[in-house]
This record gives sequence, C-alpha cells and structure tokens, in this order.
Amino acid sequence: MHYIPQLIVDALLLGGIYTLMVIGLALSFGVTRVINFAHGEAVMIGAYGAYTIALVSGIDPLLALPLLMVIGCLFGMALFKVSIEPVLKAPHVNQILLTFGIGLVLQNAAVMIWKADERSVVTPYAYSSFQFGEVFVAGGRLIGFGVALVLVAALFFWLRRTEFGRATRALDEQRDAAVLVGINVKRMYALAFGLSVALGVATGVILSFIGAISPFMGFHILVKGFAIIVLGGLGSIVGAVLGAFLLAFAETAVSYYVPNGTGWAEAVAFAVLFLVLVLRPRGIIGQAVAD
Amino acid sequence: MKPTLRSNALACLAVSALAASSASFAQDSIKIGVPMELSGRFVAYGASGKRGAELAAEVYGGKVAGKKIELLHRDIQSESQATISVFNELVNKEKVNYIIGPIASPTVAAAIPAWRQTKPLWIVPGSTSTKLEEEAGSEPEFFHTFPFAYHYHQSVAAALKSHLPPGQKVSLVFSDDNYGRTHQPYAKKYLTEAGFEIVAEEIVRTNAPDMNPLLTKIARAKPSILLGLVQTTDAVTLTKQIYTRKLPVPYLVGTAATQLDEWQKAVGQAQEGWIGVTTYLPGLKRPGNPDYPKLFPPSDEWEAAFVKKYGQEPDFEDAGCYVSAMLLFLAIEKAGGDDKAKVVAELQKLDVKNTLLGDAKFVPTPSGTKNQAFTDLVVFQRQSEKNVMLFPPGPTVGKIKSAVQ
Repeated sequence: MHYIPQLIVDALLLGGIYTLMVIGLALSFGVTRVINFAHGEAVMIGAYGAYTIALVSGIDPLLALPLLMVIGCLFGMALFKVSIEPVLKAPHVNQILLTFGIGLVLQNAAVMIWKADERSVVTPYAYSSFQFGEVFVAGGRLIGFGVALVLVAALFFWLRRTEFGRATRALDEQRDAAVLVGINVKRMYALAFGLSVALGVATGVILSFIGAISPFMGFHILVKGFAIIVLGGLGSIVGAVLGAFLLAFAETAVSYYVPNGTGWAEAVAFAVLFLVLVLRPRGIIGQAVAD
Repeated sequence: MKPTLRSNALACLAVSALAASSASFAQDSIKIGVPMELSGRFVAYGASGKRGAELAAEVYGGKVAGKKIELLHRDIQSESQATISVFNELVNKEKVNYIIGPIASPTVAAAIPAWRQTKPLWIVPGSTSTKLEEEAGSEPEFFHTFPFAYHYHQSVAAALKSHLPPGQKVSLVFSDDNYGRTHQPYAKKYLTEAGFEIVAEEIVRTNAPDMNPLLTKIARAKPSILLGLVQTTDAVTLTKQIYTRKLPVPYLVGTAATQLDEWQKAVGQAQEGWIGVTTYLPGLKRPGNPDYPKLFPPSDEWEAAFVKKYGQEPDFEDAGCYVSAMLLFLAIEKAGGDDKAKVVAELQKLDVKNTLLGDAKFVPTPSGTKNQAFTDLVVFQRQSEKNVMLFPPGPTVGKIKSAVQ
C-alpha cells in the first residue's frame, strides 16, 4: 500500500505522455481510415527537430514547439497529398505497406542526417523535481503532462467549436452524409493527417528532453500506441485518452507490485492488446472495427 | 559485320589481358574483410572500427609481406540478416582468409554460422558476451581482442574495493536482454566475492519509458552503490531519472556507455560522478613499444596524430581496431605471406608489449577461449566532465567522489 501515492503520480505523468503519443494516431485513423505506421517516425522527427533547434540556435524545445507543430502539419498535409491520397481506395494492406515504407525512409534519412547516436536535449526544467512528503514529481514529465492536457483540450475545442473540426467529426461519424452536404473530403483528410503528424511532432518535442532520441525510437512508440488505441477503441479520440491512462496505470502498478515489475510492465501492453482483441475487439469506446 | 580471325584474336587477347591483370591484382594484394556496423543502432562502434582498421593500414605503409593491404569494408547495418549476407559474401565470393569485426555482441553472434563455412582467421575486437566464448572460443582461428563480461566485473569489483571501505551495499539494475542477462551473474559473483552485499536487483525492459518505480524501490533498499547494466538508450533514461529524482546513492556505476561521447552529451550535468569501465581512454599516457615505435607509439603521440587526421578524439574501438589490425599485419609479415595456417600460428605466438590497449599476447581463458588478448580494463569516474582514473593502481589514479548532489 505504501507505494500508492507515488504510483498514482507516476501513472498520471506517464499517461500524459502516452496520450500525446496516441491522439494523433487516433485522429488520422478516425477520419481517413488509414492506419499510419509512420506515426512513430513523426514523433522521432519532432524530437530531432527540437534537438537540432536547441543545438543550432539554443532555443528551448518548448519555445520551438509551436513552430515545429506548424512545420509538422504542413509536412503531413504534403505527405498525404503525395503518397496517401492515391491509395485511399486501395486495400488496407497496400496502405499499411506504404506508411510502413514511409517510416523506413524517414528512419534511414534520420540515420544519414543525425547518425544513430543516442541524443537528448538537456534543459534545466528536465532535471527539476518536487518532493511532497514521500512523493516525488519529475519536472520534465509534469511539463509533458501539461502540454498533453493543453493539446488534448485544444483538439477537442477544434473538433467541437470550429467549422473544420465539425467537418472532421462529420467525416468520422457519417462519411456519406458529410459528402452529400458538400464537405471537401480530400481537403479534410489532408488536414486531419497533417494535424495528426503535428501531434506526433509535439510528442517528440516532449520526449526530446525526457528520454533518449534515436532514429529507431519510433517503432517502440508505434507498438505501444497501437496497444493503446486498440484498448480505447480504434478511431475514438476519447477512447485513446482513456486507453493511455489505463495502460499507464496498469504498467505502473505492475512495476511497483510485481517482483522485477519494471521488466514485466512493458509486457502489459501486449497482454492488453491480446485480451482486448479477443474479448472486446471494439475497445472501450470503439466504433471503427465494423467499418 | 562478320567477325574476322583478327577481331576474334584481339578479343581473346583483351579477355586474357583482363583476366591476367585481375589475377595479378589478386596475387599482389592480401584481402582482409572488415564487416562493421556502418549504419543502424551500433554505428558508433562500427564507424570507429572502420577508422581504426583504415588508420592501421595507412600507418603500416599500405603493404604487408610485399603485398598491398586490401581492406574490404562492408556495412552489416547492425542487423543479423545483413551480417549473415556480408559474411557469406566475404567467405564464399571474396574467399578472404582474414576478417576483423564486427563489434556488437548481437552482430558477432549472428556471424558465427557463416564464418564456420571456411573459418577464416577471425579477429573480434568487441562483444563481451560469454555466449561467443561458448560457441567460437575453442576454434584456433578465432581471436578475441576485447574483454568478456567477467573481465569487466572483476575490474569493477577490484576498483570499488580499492577505493571504498568494507560493508558497502549494492543494487543492480540490468536490462532484460542479452547484455543485461550476460553481465548480471558476473557482477553479482565478483562483487559478492569482493565483500559487497547485494541488497536489490531490478530488471528493466529495454526502451522502458519510466524507470521511476524501480528507482523508488531501490531508494528504499538504501544501497551505497548502484550498478546499471543497460545499453546506451536505457543508460540515458536511467541517468536522467536518477539525477532528476536526486537518488541518494553515492556511487553510480555504468559499463560501456559512460565512456561514450554520445552518452555524455545526452545526459549533460547528470554524468557527474558516474563510474565507467573501458579498454582505452584518451589521456592514459601509456608508453610506446620501442621495437615498433611507428606502429605502437606512446598513446599521447598516437592520440595527437589521430586528432590531426580525424578532427576528433579516438574512442575505445578506434584504438581496439587499430591494434587488432596491426597485430594481424605483424602476423602476416612474420608468416611471410598469405598463408592462413602460418598466420594463425604467428598470431598465437605474438608478444607485443605496450600497445594502446596494454600488452598484446593471446592466452587461453579459463572458460575455453583459446586466443584471448587484452583483459586489463580501466575504471574511471566522470568528475567535472573529465575522466579521472580509479583503477588499475598507478601514478595517475585519482580519488573516488560521491555522486550525491
């Protein structure tokens, strides 16, 4: 029992990072029905972007975040127009192979540009921490949690209160009706894909000062991200957020209460993925599998 | 146009000339395969290895036993499948008699079956895995020029024992992969034999995003030493999280990552106080070998020449592959040419004092490797972003400091 307060704090902070990792993935799938296997590489590019800006100009990753998200969004939209749009009506396996290939290209481009060395951005707040009695809170992770909250709130605001957001939801919920009322489907797809890449880039910016950056970091993020969105329900952003926190709590509890639990915690993601696929393929709030 | 007798004769002549020239090139050169991790996750090791071998060939003069040294550099991409393809090509198509590399334990392990096809003389300047020793150590053509895991922990235990009072408590953090699981039993064995008490052992999954739960558990065990047996990615996360939560453990020990420039840059001020183990560090001021002053000069002279050529300080694999290649050239020279059996015999007989890695002499290990050189390790501590030697004892040894902030 004595670990519970620390467990709750650790799980909340981890859940914030997981939320950032998956809301973009959930958004792009919900709207375009394309599973983006290159999403982990969008995170990786964001991390390297923050690292490079910090190295070259000394600008803090958090200050560079808005600029990097805009660049990420434009890059995502361009990528969609050039590569994803032509395969929208192709079988899912073609789309999967395409996005997987894009991920490999980005990964190898990163190796050529930055080499495979492990890197990280060193900032004063990344090493700050607070102690409340026996409970420890890491400053960098708290900032990551705050950024996740702000971006999730902004995404929900955009989806519910803006014309483009409502059009995006319409495509997600009633695609044929949305087309009939004149929503420009391809433009909305490109925008949703661009926003999803921007959210991936934001995740990378946060990870750039919390952990290690390498060209190969994307794969682990992608695997964890899929476990979360399957748990929450494919295509549901609310489900993705719930899934992120559920998985974070499950992993952290295993870390604290199972002997050698930090070794076992990562296996929780795969166990959850397996169980949900067998017992409840739609996830917690899923609606997409039937499509 | 019909071919005439004259044109046929000219064509035959041209083909013969081409064949003769390539045969003569083959005879005039000695091919040495250099499969390295030139891309992928172990590129830092492979790039150093390539530089070391290249520099050795250049310093040696480009010729050995009167023949041109032909280094066949190959990129194994840090992947098992690419390693197997490259080894197949080197042994079956290029028919090399000598191979230096690769370096990382997983890629070396992947190369073993392909190497076994023709068993060229194989110098492995890396891999601490004792699995390698089990699988290839007993072969006479296999030469290991890097310490095994148990050599690391013998040195760490001896260094800590020589600097700290008895009764210290140790916690081990090891990764759930070949690296962590290979090192963990040796760390436990040699630390226990040296009188340390192991009070906590925590396993961590590779690429774990949060190590705070294990650090919380370790803090409650109140150790005075934390030994992290994890690879570089996890070492960065572990180091950052230890520093952030101000873990009250005075002595923090890593293995290979601590010496790496990439780890030092990635963790910044959190590197302070970390203790590392390595085969070679710039600034060691090792003496040179008077018999081979050009090949094995004093280490500071070699470092200066390296910095002049490459614009950066050498790391342990630059030195490791340089020395490994030099030993191979000397053995070929002594064998009088490209005769694998003779070169194997000469390499086994070599006894070269004061190389960059210490004395070079291949001896058997108690665990079954026939040809093992360089088991002396340097234990050092990062103090004010510089390396301070802790072990082995000598005039340049400094004092150990607590890492507690």
